[in-house]
Amino acid sequence: MVYLLHGGGLILVPVFTKIFHTTEKESRATSVFCMLPMVVASSVFYYQNKYFDIWLGIKCAIGGIIGGIIGAKLLNKMNNKYIKILFVIFLIIASIKLFK
Amino acid sequence: MIEVLIGIISGVISGLGAGGGTILILILTAFMGYEQHISQSANLIFFVPTALASIIINTKQKLIKYKLAIPITIVGIIGAIIGANISVHLDVKILKKIFAIFLFLIAIREIISIYNMYIKDKKTHNNGNK
Repeated sequence: MVYLLHGGGLILVPVFTKIFHTTEKESRATSVFCMLPMVVASSVFYYQNKYFDIWLGIKCAIGGIIGGIIGAKLLNKMNNKYIKILFVIFLIIASIKLFK
Repeated sequence: MIEVLIGIISGVISGLGAGGGTILILILTAFMGYEQHISQSANLIFFVPTALASIIINTKQKLIKYKLAIPITIVGIIGAIIGANISVHLDVKILKKIFAIFLFLIAIREIISIYNMYIKDKKTHNNGNK
């Protein structure tokens, strides 16, 4: 169901919206609620196998909180279309770079 | 403090609803040279505070559908345990390749969503919202 741990939301949101007919907002809210225990469960195994850099995670999380606030404000002001296009271009370049 | 900056970038993208965690893993692995598993665990930690904040806000706004959420969460936890176990035992090279394919699939999905949102809508003019 959750591909090796990331992208759970990418799967859950469309499933909720299309199959269970919840609104986009409800789908996002519900998917985050579902994902938190999944994330905690997987973290245990990463921790057990010593693949866990807590400080790196905390630093990124601090940035994530700041960025989340900025993102939420930008969402109302900027055109999503161009950000999405940039995101797609970035994904394609990165996937090729990683696959090599 | 470059990690905080990467966090900010990923956070902005999360706020825009476009997979901030994916970007986080990507920058850490492809551009910062962190090991794939370590980057994935950083993504797990990264997710927690934002998720908690969002759950609190969403609970107040009654946006979480618990009847739907609980069975999916239970199945999801089992899935996550299986996924995490596969992931930690996979060779980094293979894991990176799987991640690359996954990114490519997201890119395709995003292209479809951009098409549906902006191109199809314009063609149908005022014929409905979606």
